[in-house]
Amino acid sequence: MEREEDSKFEMEIISTSGVYKTPFSLIIIVQLFIGGLVLFFVNLWFINSLYYLLTGSQFYSFGFKAEWYYWLLLPLNIYGNIFLFVFTIIVFSAGIFRLLNKLSQPEEGIFERGSKDWNYMHRRFWTAFFPIWLARALPLPWLDIIAYRFFGTRVGRSVVLYEGYIDPLFVEIGDFTMTSLNICIFSHLIYQDKVHIKKVKIGNACVVGPHTIISPGTVMEDFAVLGVNSYTKINQNLKGNLIHVGTPVSMTLPIQSVEESQQKAVKVKEGPENSKEKQNGTNLNLKEG
Amino acid sequence: MFQPASLKGESPVPIDERIRNKYLILYIVIIILSFIPCSLFEFWYVYYFWSESFFWTFFLLLPFNVLLAIYIVQFTATLTSVLILKVVNLIHFPKEGNFKRSLEDRDYLFWNIRNIIKKWPLFVMASNPFPWFKNRFTLRFFGVKIGKKTICDNSWISSELVSIGENVIIGMNSTVLSFGIEQDNFILKEIRVGNDVLIGAKCVILPGTVIKRNVRLSAHSYTKHNAVLEEDSIYMGHPAKLKKTE
Repeated sequence: MEREEDSKFEMEIISTSGVYKTPFSLIIIVQLFIGGLVLFFVNLWFINSLYYLLTGSQFYSFGFKAEWYYWLLLPLNIYGNIFLFVFTIIVFSAGIFRLLNKLSQPEEGIFERGSKDWNYMHRRFWTAFFPIWLARALPLPWLDIIAYRFFGTRVGRSVVLYEGYIDPLFVEIGDFTMTSLNICIFSHLIYQDKVHIKKVKIGNACVVGPHTIISPGTVMEDFAVLGVNSYTKINQNLKGNLIHVGTPVSMTLPIQSVEESQQKAVKVKEGPENSKEKQNGTNLNLKEG
Repeated sequence: MFQPASLKGESPVPIDERIRNKYLILYIVIIILSFIPCSLFEFWYVYYFWSESFFWTFFLLLPFNVLLAIYIVQFTATLTSVLILKVVNLIHFPKEGNFKRSLEDRDYLFWNIRNIIKKWPLFVMASNPFPWFKNRFTLRFFGVKIGKKTICDNSWISSELVSIGENVIIGMNSTVLSFGIEQDNFILKEIRVGNDVLIGAKCVILPGTVIKRNVRLSAHSYTKHNAVLEEDSIYMGHPAKLKKTE
């Protein structure tokens, strides 16, 4: 039954992912408060110990005395406060995220508006919204990768994630992959009154070009390249060692020098016969015109 | 879905280089005016809470203080610019049409002045890290009609001559432009989006487009100038063409 619906989805358009503002979004205020609370206590302890080192008395007793090397932490204090704030919020909301995952196991498939999975999708989104925003607002490039890992995304080693919309759930990114600016990696799409959730797999050493959309169910094999300004269909499989372009993806180019690749562009048609040719990969160079 | 800090859905308000410096004073006045209630609030906060007995509450309420301060700046910036816009609109009322892109054309000139006035509140609105009272709320102040249950926080929507119906989803990175510049011509034309419309990610909707009820526009497509998308149908392509009618 579900398979039939899946094939119907392939026929239709790629839409977008959208999340409504539910009352659960107020969790951001709780996250903000928890972050501020930890910041307050750490700073109280630190300023108190510096005050003790300077004057010999303290305005709040924590039970242990400060040492001289506390002065070394002073330069860290200013910038460290920002990271302390962001990390506590990430850790706290990752805890809530896992709790929600235990309450309702995230599943792939097609869900109606107002169903249990729809509600939990919104709850998961709003718990992950603020920490990921904070991690991406800070200038360090690895902080958003750490944030994504906390929320259960499998992100490999040496990955570059430039600015773009990436869903945290049902996304797998391999080692040495780069995603360019202004991309959308959707693991859920809205279609009429339904939401379609499917896993996205991006292999090792892939390149996702700028201004692209990766739809749910897309599998990018190792060393595949998705060209600029293209988008993939639902459940599309991108073969490795090739450049894929088109809206939706319909052309493959071999990875060659610029002049060679312009000559040897081959249009890959739909159908079982051509898919065999694709697998062999040898016929690609024969069809040059 | 996760909005990066740099891809915030700020409304496009370009300003002509030739008159930017001339009307800079308007921009600065709005910024200064918008910070006055915020600074009064901060003064009150410190004055009231910074004492021996309220020492703990001062720090515990600090996160809420930050949250409130952001919203106070946003609301006052919006209100001051709306008031100034009302005065400017008395001098010259915005209207649709084809104009010349020269500063002698009063429509083009006043469009630029309106953009200078709107720039700061729209920037604050888009930079706000919290999801409440964002684009939809602020754009309504500037005369954009946006219905209930509409998602449009991740897209770039022009701040005038746009009307969007109820229960619409506008995808992330989509652009709704009610103005266009082509060499020496300048076009202002209203965009109307009906109810229950679904616009995909990275779409571009050009001036004069009329999208009727229950249309679905595929991702990564754009509409022509003055295009009409008929009811209950699916459109896709560059430019968007009819694919299927139900």
